Amino acid sequence: MSTAGGSNPEYVNARVRARSAALFDEEEYRKLVRMGPAEIARFMEESEYEEEINALGSRFSGVDLIEFALNRNLAKQFNDILKWADGRLYDLIARYLRKFDAWNVKTIVRGIYSEADKESVDADLIRAGEFDDRFLDRLLDATTIEEVVERLDGTMFDAGLEQAYEDYEDSGVLVPIENALDRAYYENLLDGLVVDEATEQYREYLEAEIDFRNARNALRLARSGADIDPADYYIEGGSLFSATELVTLAQNPDELVAKIRDSKYGDELSNALDELESASSLIGFERALESALLEYADGLGYVFPLSVSPVVSYILAKEQEVDNIRAIARGREAGLSEDEIEQELVIQ
Amino acid sequence: MAEDVKPTRKNLMAIEDRIELSERGHDTLEQKRDGLIMEFMDILDQAQDVRSQLNQDYETAQSKINMARAMEGDVAVRGAAAALKEHPEITTQSKNIMGVVVPQIESSRVKKSLDQRGYGLLGSSARIDEAADAYEELLESIILAAEVETAMKKMLEEIETTKRRVNALEFKLLPDLYENKEYIEQKLEEQEREEIFRLKKIKAKKEEEEKAAREEEGPETTPPETVPADD
Repeated sequence: MSTAGGSNPEYVNARVRARSAALFDEEEYRKLVRMGPAEIARFMEESEYEEEINALGSRFSGVDLIEFALNRNLAKQFNDILKWADGRLYDLIARYLRKFDAWNVKTIVRGIYSEADKESVDADLIRAGEFDDRFLDRLLDATTIEEVVERLDGTMFDAGLEQAYEDYEDSGVLVPIENALDRAYYENLLDGLVVDEATEQYREYLEAEIDFRNARNALRLARSGADIDPADYYIEGGSLFSATELVTLAQNPDELVAKIRDSKYGDELSNALDELESASSLIGFERALESALLEYADGLGYVFPLSVSPVVSYILAKEQEVDNIRAIARGREAGLSEDEIEQELVIQ
Repeated sequence: MAEDVKPTRKNLMAIEDRIELSERGHDTLEQKRDGLIMEFMDILDQAQDVRSQLNQDYETAQSKINMARAMEGDVAVRGAAAALKEHPEITTQSKNIMGVVVPQIESSRVKKSLDQRGYGLLGSSARIDEAADAYEELLESIILAAEVETAMKKMLEEIETTKRRVNALEFKLLPDLYENKEYIEQKLEEQEREEIFRLKKIKAKKEEEEKAAREEEGPETTPPETVPADD
């Protein structure tokens, strides 16, 4: 509900445990991989996603229906968790879910920039963050990017957005605004986080998220060969690189890979790093990072059952479920083989 | 039609001039046609390479975007695409290949670096980068294919026109001119023969008249010395 009041992990964990049990298991994924998009939608209609499929069935069809239903269900589930949580637990959960606020603001800004109609922008929002419907509707009503920036005054995105807006006005591209929004999200992940035994693992997870984000961005910059200062894209809070280290390493991808190999993530990412050294694509490496994060998340649920960890573990598992179902449906639509789709899935 | 031509010496000279010009034109056009065909064969090879590259780039781009849509979601891919309004610029110039004006297409701002694509780097992934990369390459291939295939089409049209001209000269104009020339020559020869025959006739008639006049004047007058005929 809010950060006020005492933390209530017992109650939220009990509710979340029931939801976790409803997540698709490996057997269900195996069935889904063999289905076409229409069959997947039908399968979803008989599962947790029934309400969303029925509500959106008249507006969308095919894989779009599946994707919008997944996003809406995700938003509903996460909103419920935020509604149940109180006190410190709320704060810990909201830290992570604010990424959907960043997503929604970016979607609204892109909609204004590309002069898209309000309805289609609204359909693309994932209302799973901390911003309530009224605030998001106010942002949707904005007709200029400047208005959006003004309406974000007082939120965590406020800092840096004004400067980013000026840069946007100079350059005419949305990059500064999008980066400012994402940076605000990442830098608030660990900002003011009180670490104790119960949240130690969560902090480690968030740190890993920032480290992996820095690593993949540095590799993307290194591979692109563009004349961009990597320091502009460095996110504070990770333990793997400092800003100056990242600047040096981004110019030498081999050293960057070696640094990751020697780090605490080295063992988990060893295979992906081998693949990265031999292949030109970063996609496999990103997939490995996602798998590693999910493994972290999986471990979260067992260590401190009466902390934020099981909730975060559920949130990540739910996100992965949505990603997997969408990957299967889109993969089937694009004519990918079962093997190709299975290779892309990240299953716990 | 040979019958439409007046069989005069002036016309014969004009037709001979036209035949000479047409034969020269025919030779030149034949050389042009052969040259164009050789150029066309070169462009055809290039067009085949470009087309196969285009197909390959299309397959790659399609597979990358399918993968991005599958893993990041259609909403994320559409969102990333909506973050850029600026379109690549295309300028066309022309160059001349054996008299055929073909376009030369220059493109700018097709390939973009990560910070020029509009979407933020911090919240996006390599899948979207690779899809964008693949589509930029596809666009470059399309522009190159447009240039080469337009040149090929124009060359083909020019070869067709030249071939029609060569054939028209070879099978229509020159045979007609030869026929007209022959017709006029025959007619002129015929007229010449008729003229000679007429002159002979006149001469014979004159001689007869002179002979008759002499006989009327009587035998006392000495007969004039006879002049032998020319033929």
